[in-house]
Amino acid sequence: MSFGDYYTYGLHIRSEILCPELMPHAQPGEDPEVTIRLLSEVPQVTESLENKYFEVQPRTFRMSVEGVAHYVVEDGRRISVEPAEGATVDKIRLFLLGSAMGALLYQRGLFPLHGSAIETPWGAMIFVGPQGVGKSTLGSQFHRQGYKVLSDDVCAVTPGSAGMEVLPALAHFRLCTDAFERLGVPESGIFHVDKFVVPLGDGYCSHPVPLKAIHVLGNQESGDPKFEVLRGFDRVKFLLENLYRPEYLEHQSTQSDLMRMAGAIAQQSAVVNVTRRRDTALIATMVDFLESAWEENFGPAPVKETSEGEWTNAQL
Amino acid sequence: MRSFKPEDKLSRTEKMLSTDLDQETVLMSIEAGAYYGMAGTARTIWAKLETPMTFAALVDELVKQYAVTPEACAAELQGFLGEMEKEGLLHVG
Repeated sequence: MSFGDYYTYGLHIRSEILCPELMPHAQPGEDPEVTIRLLSEVPQVTESLENKYFEVQPRTFRMSVEGVAHYVVEDGRRISVEPAEGATVDKIRLFLLGSAMGALLYQRGLFPLHGSAIETPWGAMIFVGPQGVGKSTLGSQFHRQGYKVLSDDVCAVTPGSAGMEVLPALAHFRLCTDAFERLGVPESGIFHVDKFVVPLGDGYCSHPVPLKAIHVLGNQESGDPKFEVLRGFDRVKFLLENLYRPEYLEHQSTQSDLMRMAGAIAQQSAVVNVTRRRDTALIATMVDFLESAWEENFGPAPVKETSEGEWTNAQL
Repeated sequence: MRSFKPEDKLSRTEKMLSTDLDQETVLMSIEAGAYYGMAGTARTIWAKLETPMTFAALVDELVKQYAVTPEACAAELQGFLGEMEKEGLLHVG
């Protein structure tokens, strides 16, 4: 059986399903932290799953997507995939790298926010917000203007050596995956996934970046965009409201840990409300607007001290 | 609203998550999805209730810490604990 060694969310992942979306691991050892196995049969799903799309138990997550695959995620270390007959590999990967990976992040005690993240001189900036508010679009606009991308869909935040960090996730944008996965079992005919996959080339960031701010995006009817740094306990609420698939949390022992992390994240980084008119003509101006707002609120852009080498995954 | 008696046993309900943020304790009710910020004396009271205790014991504890008479403290607590119980933060009995 062939396999690929990847580096994503700070983890060495060895997968029997090849995933071009993920960053190849520069120096894979023989002890991957996560293995993804392709099996002809995964441990029987329980009866209770019959009418449901997924099931959460402590340390085990099961998901069944009709016509695609059964997925079992265990102990934050193993993902087993049993493809359905006739399922294409891009369909299988879509749910593997979305829902199954999200469940794995919860099992590992990471804080998965649903949004995109970029690296800036101030640190990592995350964009969250309701479905369709333009999280990936804003991320891709920053990418177009030369910023490195940490994640386009699920951002994993974790305590690092110098405070909270955002872990690098994907080497591709996956625009529109929200819509694909939203309803659990998707309608047929929407799986032309690859045309939405935009390779980032060397425009992705391959190392963890200290978290500076989380931006909650929203729309407004008219007027100039607004940037409001939040105070008070609403910050915790905003963070928890923007967790990726909070329903995967049910019965997970990490629930109280996540609550404590939400407090620590709010304490150590800014939580910001950003509202603007929903107008595609304004998307490009949002980069300028946010750069100015960051300078105003967080001070002049710090001079980057990292050497060129740190832009690759040479540190691995 | 109930009137608390000195021997009433007070404890936190289980379905709550909590975290510290600045000078507050932030609580989230898993069932209701509601958030509460506890600051100042409310935060102190919540912290003390980590160990279940009677109403009278809570009054004793607070009188040691704050410049307040037992009577005034008990009267204030009636209202506050009543609110907590109504919001499902407090178990009595």
